[in-house]
Amino acid sequence: MKKILLLLFFMEIAFLSFTQNNCKFVSLFNGKDLSGWLMEGEVPGFEVIDGVLVAKKYNGSNLFTTKRYANFIFKFEYLLSTKGNSGVLIRCDPKKPWETGYEIQLLAPWTPYRDDLHCTGSIYGYVPVMNRPDETTGIWHQMEIRCDRTKITISVDGQITTMADTDTVQGMKEKLLSGAIGFQSNHSKDGEYAMFRNIYICNFDSDPAYVKKGFYEQDARIRKQAHEAATELGGKMIGTLVLLMDADEPKLESGAKKALFDITAKATDPHALKNEKKWVIKEINAGIKKSSTEATKAYLNWLLKMAKN
Amino acid sequence: MNRRNFLKSSGIGFLCYPFFINHFTRSAPSDRIRIAHIGTGNMGSSHIRWFAGFPDVETVALCDVDQIHLGHASKLLTSLRPESKVNLYSDFRYILDRKDIDAITCATPDHWHALIAILAFEAGKDVYGEKPLSYSVKEGQVMERALSRHKAIFQLGTQIHAGENYHRVTEIIQAGVLGRIHTVRLWKNGGSPGLGFPSYENPPENLDWNMWLGPAPYSKYTPVRSHGTFRYFFDYSGGVFADFWCHIADILFMSLQPKELFSIESRGEIPYDGIADTPQWIDVDFKFKDLDIFWTTTPPPQVPDSEKMSIGAHFEGDKGTLTCDYDKKIIRIGNEEFNDLPEVPKTLPRSPGHQRNFLDAVKSREQPESNLNYARKMTLPMHLALISFRLKRKLTWDSQHEQFVDDPAANFLLKRDYRSPWSLPKY
Repeated sequence: MKKILLLLFFMEIAFLSFTQNNCKFVSLFNGKDLSGWLMEGEVPGFEVIDGVLVAKKYNGSNLFTTKRYANFIFKFEYLLSTKGNSGVLIRCDPKKPWETGYEIQLLAPWTPYRDDLHCTGSIYGYVPVMNRPDETTGIWHQMEIRCDRTKITISVDGQITTMADTDTVQGMKEKLLSGAIGFQSNHSKDGEYAMFRNIYICNFDSDPAYVKKGFYEQDARIRKQAHEAATELGGKMIGTLVLLMDADEPKLESGAKKALFDITAKATDPHALKNEKKWVIKEINAGIKKSSTEATKAYLNWLLKMAKN
Repeated sequence: MNRRNFLKSSGIGFLCYPFFINHFTRSAPSDRIRIAHIGTGNMGSSHIRWFAGFPDVETVALCDVDQIHLGHASKLLTSLRPESKVNLYSDFRYILDRKDIDAITCATPDHWHALIAILAFEAGKDVYGEKPLSYSVKEGQVMERALSRHKAIFQLGTQIHAGENYHRVTEIIQAGVLGRIHTVRLWKNGGSPGLGFPSYENPPENLDWNMWLGPAPYSKYTPVRSHGTFRYFFDYSGGVFADFWCHIADILFMSLQPKELFSIESRGEIPYDGIADTPQWIDVDFKFKDLDIFWTTTPPPQVPDSEKMSIGAHFEGDKGTLTCDYDKKIIRIGNEEFNDLPEVPKTLPRSPGHQRNFLDAVKSREQPESNLNYARKMTLPMHLALISFRLKRKLTWDSQHEQFVDDPAANFLLKRDYRSPWSLPKY
């Protein structure tokens, strides 16, 4: 059994590195201030010191991305003080982060309450680590959190610690599949701290090839994600959607039709940027040339009229 | 030659009419109305049943693009009126060509409603048409012009309109006992389903799928796009919202005649658990002159008794409120609750029944209660709300010119070009 698990690990690592090579990582922290982040509440829990994000104030406000993310690799470096205690909140509503999302634990190895379900790398209280990471305090470690639909994989210092399918874990199935990403403020005591730097995200939903896969699913939650991601991508997604419409399968065709409509509708908003509309018109025109079915061409022509009207 | 053309063209007085008519037609006595039913599925069967119950109606033709429906319809009619001599058609244009037919009823899917009615008006026939009135706003406008040009009679099949409750609610609202009504909340619990992920298949032999689609965009066949569930596709209809809007908005328009709609803002979501695309839920804020209208899907508005009614209307006035559905009403003034207010006089004439009202109109040439002009005003906000839903934005409406303000895409969605060879007649 252990051998099979190990084999799975290697396969997963091979797969991870493959997708990472294609993944475009974007920095979420500029090293200067908290732009792109949201810190609500009276007592700030985070400050930027010498290019590093520091959680110092005990039980201050947590810090969340202003944007929502569904499917991604989130990677960063962290350093914990001797009794440091923090964590990463993913796919959550910042107003109710623990109810709507879950926490990947970051915890110094001082407390006796640090079983596999509550130690660094665990999905706190839901999924234990399979593999204990290096918990040495005072040095920088790298964590990588990968969320791909219902599959979650957590690695520390390049080694997988935790794998989960949220649909098979009691209490996780009901949680959001998309939301903000956050850091928990210093949860230990005054004088302790957690530090973060090199914070990056690769958003899978920025890649039309990834979004496309969602249209093959029957799970309404995943179809909704794919629809929203496609609408967000706009003109960039149209070519892919045209191919789905041509596929002669109602599941693909209906999803693509709905997304194409919403992309066009958004571009026709009187407040939308003119360039966005031009781009959508150009891509629809290209789609009409590329499409192989009359029904798709007719639908695209209709959308084109709506956009040009 | 039908009754109306005869009167029109002959110019002879009504007194002579009964003596003359038999020389020209072999039809039954002149007070009989010869009717054809187009679309004989679920609702169409009700049409057959209802109209067969009137001694002055002769059902002479049935039409359906599905041979199985047509067979059932024919059997149903024979069981009700064994003496019937009825012709069966799969193309409604044969019915419109017949000069001996006075009126048609139409219970096809929504995307056929307007075109069949307009062509029927042109052929000199009166129409009892199922709700919703039309697929698009433009169609409703053309229907109205065609009706007036051809002096036809039209009744929308909102049969709840004819009931006692809506007439009584109208009297109470119009008597002013609730003060000035400033807000009306309409609701219908539950939205449209997604219908799963079926595959395409060949249409069954009994169904003329191309004719079923008619003016709608071409699509391959899968059973859920057709009978029973077609309304959950924007290609043919507008879901539960479009289905039930006119039933409950009816009491709003009957009692208050809201005017000068100027803004529409819809929120909602399409279903993701299937191939259908009409609202899984939709909430709408309408602003009329001096009147706010709110529509909610689920949950119902937070007003007393709304949880007891799966569909309803709640009127809020300066002095009191009235909550009603098809057959109940609860009036609240101060801390008191009433089921009726006997001091409000009964001023409105009651309907003799929705279908009877239509038949009487065919004879008298006076438009019936749910006539086209009324039905179109009542249906219009529903179409506009669906456009706001689809575009995901608040829209401003110019009620005088019936155009959205500064939103060409929204205006584009007021109409839909028909699939060749069909075209919307020009008026």
